[in-house]
Parts: sequence; structure tokens; C-alpha cells
Amino acid sequence: MTELLQQAKRRYESARETDEDADESEATGTFGGVNLNVIHPQLWLLAGLIVFPIFVTVIVSTKETGIVTSLPDLLPGTYALENYREAVVDYGFGRFMWNSLLMSVVIVVGKLTISVFAAMAIVYYRVPYKDVVFLFILFTLLLPVPVRFVPLYQLINDLGWNNSMLAITVPYLASATTVFILRQHFLSIPTSIVETAKLDGVGPVKFMIQVLVPMSKSVLVGVSVIMFVYAWNQYLWPLIIIESEANQVTQVGLQLLQGDVQGGNLSWSLVMAGSVLTLLPPLALMILFRKPLLETFTIQQK
Amino acid sequence: MSTREIFDSRLEALLLLAPTVAVSLVFLYYPTALAFQTSFFDSGFGQAPTFVGFENYVSLLTSSAYHSSVLISVLFAAFVVVGVITSSLYLSFLIHEVDTGQGWYLISVIWPYALPPAVAALVFLFIFHPTLGVLTGPIESLGIELDWFNDGPQAFVVVMLAAIWKQIGYNVIFMIAAMNNIPDSLTETAQLDGVGRLRRLVSVYVPIMTPTLFFLVIINTIYAFFSTFAFVDLLTSGGPSNATNILIFDLYREAFSYFNFGVSSAKSVVLFIVVAVLMLIQFRLTEEYSHYGA
Repeated sequence: MTELLQQAKRRYESARETDEDADESEATGTFGGVNLNVIHPQLWLLAGLIVFPIFVTVIVSTKETGIVTSLPDLLPGTYALENYREAVVDYGFGRFMWNSLLMSVVIVVGKLTISVFAAMAIVYYRVPYKDVVFLFILFTLLLPVPVRFVPLYQLINDLGWNNSMLAITVPYLASATTVFILRQHFLSIPTSIVETAKLDGVGPVKFMIQVLVPMSKSVLVGVSVIMFVYAWNQYLWPLIIIESEANQVTQVGLQLLQGDVQGGNLSWSLVMAGSVLTLLPPLALMILFRKPLLETFTIQQK
Repeated sequence: MSTREIFDSRLEALLLLAPTVAVSLVFLYYPTALAFQTSFFDSGFGQAPTFVGFENYVSLLTSSAYHSSVLISVLFAAFVVVGVITSSLYLSFLIHEVDTGQGWYLISVIWPYALPPAVAALVFLFIFHPTLGVLTGPIESLGIELDWFNDGPQAFVVVMLAAIWKQIGYNVIFMIAAMNNIPDSLTETAQLDGVGRLRRLVSVYVPIMTPTLFFLVIINTIYAFFSTFAFVDLLTSGGPSNATNILIFDLYREAFSYFNFGVSSAKSVVLFIVVAVLMLIQFRLTEEYSHYGA
């Protein structure tokens, strides 16, 4: 770190020499009210660009036909209730959303549980070869779904799991990232607390429930949000392995609408209603738990 | 370190590790091994596999369609990485510099982290639709004929923009954290000495943020190669004339439209090598920079 800082200082020294006159006015402008005039409009414009597509989506989901060919057409309509009702009831989004929710909750709970187990063994047990096991788990970072979905498809078929909830949950349960984040966090719990627990003769189950979990609340919430967003947004694997519409998840539900709307058999306002529904759960969780989420991300990078 | 190791029952440790190890073995390692094995066979649906040695790999090496898919993926990744890094860096800097409303700006910029790629794709399909799109009118008034259902380069750009849009949130999260770690003293000296704002970003902040930026370049590259399937599938289906046929989509089609499991397994192995190389680079860089951190 110190070396980086020195390097930065050197660069900045040379920057100062070449830059002295040109930027003087702007630099002094960073103090006081001038700041506002430069940065806020830029942020409004850029943040506006990032929000704009979703703003359009929400507006169109309230309109009758979804034909919006110019900016002045972007006024909210009065068909919100009909559109959302039709998406949920007639086009199966009630069912799709339920399947997605079930899948995501099973993945989050399962992954969290077995990852806490694994991280606890790696940090708190004095047993041989545990570093090898940790490497074995970490190495799975090299094996994401895209690398193995073809043989996985064959394996799931051989097990007779295709088209089932098992197929879209169990293969996701092992998580190198989660074990890694939890291990890092466990290593930051003060040893004094751990030693006290040992002196008190606390057993492993009690230690996990009464010491480890309460000391890790924020991280557990953070990884849960990361895992939920990841699970909810899965598209490729459910598309391949789930055949019947009744068992399908909401991401692929959107794909089913796409064909109809391109063929002109369906109103865009309905597709946009489906999109809003599909976006809401992960977005709500992220906004609600943004603090623990951001804290957990800083652990991940280490 | 060792004071944390308060338990020593091997049986308990085994039980705690067993679920993660078992799932990894059955659903991660085994299918990968199967991909390596199948890549040496001629194999399709309801057909007994026959051993063909390196034939599948040779066919990839000599296939001009596969070469163009590789080229498109590399170009796509390069554009997405540069686009995401520069736009996120500038946005993070503005949010870092702003005096009020930081929390609101941050949320309005990082929310696409939660955005499902399928939703992002459909929204882009709608707002850039050649006949129905909201932005089609404004864009065509600039003298550009919007015809990306038939125009390869335009389709490439639309998929790229959608992919960049979705990834900005994740990048800003990490960049803001890195910028907040920069000592205030450095910023103050720079300001007092009259270094302009943009110059401060490029000459002072970016060098200090190098470890974070390297990490994000690797993550974004992996994202561009593998997590953009939904964009291609929903926006272009790889077309027009394969202009957006990136490797992951090409692999999907080989396996589930043409049912060539042998060739598609060889393609899986190629993707495995891509991930492995990227991860190795990241690991090396992290090692290198941990010396500075120590």
C-alpha cells in the first residue's frame, strides 16, 4: 500500500507541474457552491440514463397497447390493474414467480447452511488435510454452469430429475464464494471470544448457534442477498432442464412471452408488466439490505 | 490462528464438510470430467458414442464459423469491459465528489446489480425496437437508420449496450469502496496544489485503485463471456448472420439445437480453459498486490 501511495504521489507531482495553470479555476471550484453546478447536473443526466429504461418499462406496463413511439407518449396509462392481472393469471406469471421464489429460497437456505458448516470446519477444527479440502472447494470457481451444462444435462436426465425442483436447486448448493466469504469473516472474529467459549466447554452445535451465527448476522444477510439475486436471475439452466410450463421459472417465462410479442400476438404492455414483476423481488431485497450487502462485497474482494 | 482451532473431532469435521464436498464432487467435478471424456467421442441423442480421438478439436480448429465466434466473443468482451470500466469509474468519481444526496445517487446507479439479464434484454428489445421503439425516433432523427434486426454491427452494439447497462451497478459498488479508502490527505493536497478534478481521478486515484480495477477487469471479462447468454438469446438469437453468436450461445446451439454432444463437449473444454486462464491471471495479480498490502 505504501508503495502504491508513493507511486501515486510521484504521478500527482508531475501532474501538478504540467497542469498548474490549466485546471486552476476548476480546482478552486471544488470548494463552496461551484461544486454543485458542475457535478449535480452530470449525475442527474447519467443516473437518469441508467434509470430511464426501467422508467419506460413501468410506464408501458400501465398502458393499454404498449405502443410508445415517441417521448411524449410516455404518460402513464390506466390499464395497470388489467395488465398485471392478465400477466399473473392468464400468462402464468403467478405460477412462474412462485417457482422462482421456491427455487431461490431453497438455494439460499441450503447453500447458507452447508457453507456455514464447511467454513466452521475449516476455521475451528484442528484436523489434517483441511487445507486440501478448502482448495478442493475453491477450485470449483473454475467450473461455472456454462462450462458444464451439457454433461450436467445428461447427468440430471440419468438421475431422472429433469423438469423438477431438484434439478434447478441441488446443483447450486455448493458454493466456493460463500465458503470463502464466511471463512474470511470467521477469521476476523476475535480469538478472545473463541477462547472464552472453549473455556466454558461449549460444544460445536452450541458454538455455531450461540456464538458464530450471532457474530455473523450482517455477513449472513449480505451473502443471502447475493445468493438470492444470483439464483433468481438464473436463465440458461432452467431454460434447458425445465420442459413443462407449469414448472418453469419467471426468467424463462419472459422468454415464452417474447416469441408472441415479436409475432404481434401480444401487447408489449403485458411483456413489460411481466418484466416489472420479475425485477421486483431481487431489487426490493437489494435496496432493503443494501448496507450488509455492501459490507459483504468488501470481504469478497480480499 | 491456531487458537481458533478449538475442536478436534475428525468425525464432526467430516460431517460438516461432507455436504459441500459431495455436491461439488457430483454436480461440479464429475460433469466437468464427463465433458473432457465426451469431447473425444462422436456422440448425439440416442446414439452409441464412438471414440474419435482429437477429431472434435480438429474440427473446431478448422471451422471458420467457430473462429468467427471466437473473434466475436473477444471483441464483445473487450468492448463490454472497456465500456463498463470507464463509465463506472466516471460515475463512481462523481458520486465520490458530490456534496449532497450521495446515498440517492448511489442507489440510482448500483441498482442494476439486481437486474435480471432477461428483463434487461426485453427492455432493450422494446426501447430500441426498429418500428416501435421509444428511442428509435430520436436516434433516426440523428440520421442513423435503425435496422438492427437485419444489420449485424447494429445488433452487436445493442447487445453490448444492454450488457454494459446491467454490469455498471456491480462495478460502482467496488469502485466507490476503493475510492472511499483513499486517504483524505492525498485529496486535500492535490486540491490545494491546484490539480484539476479530472486529472486527480486519472493521475492520483486510478493508480491507487489498480488492484480493484484489475479484479473488475477479470470479473467483467468472465461476465461478458458467460453471463450474457440471456441478452443474445432474447435480443438476437446469435444473428443476424451470426454477428452476435458469442461462444456461450454457440455452445448452447451446438448441444441443444444440433445435439452434437461430442463437439459441444469440446467447446465446453475450450470455455473451461478460458475461465482457468482468467482466474489464474486474477490469482497472480492478487498475489502480486498482496505484497503492497502487507
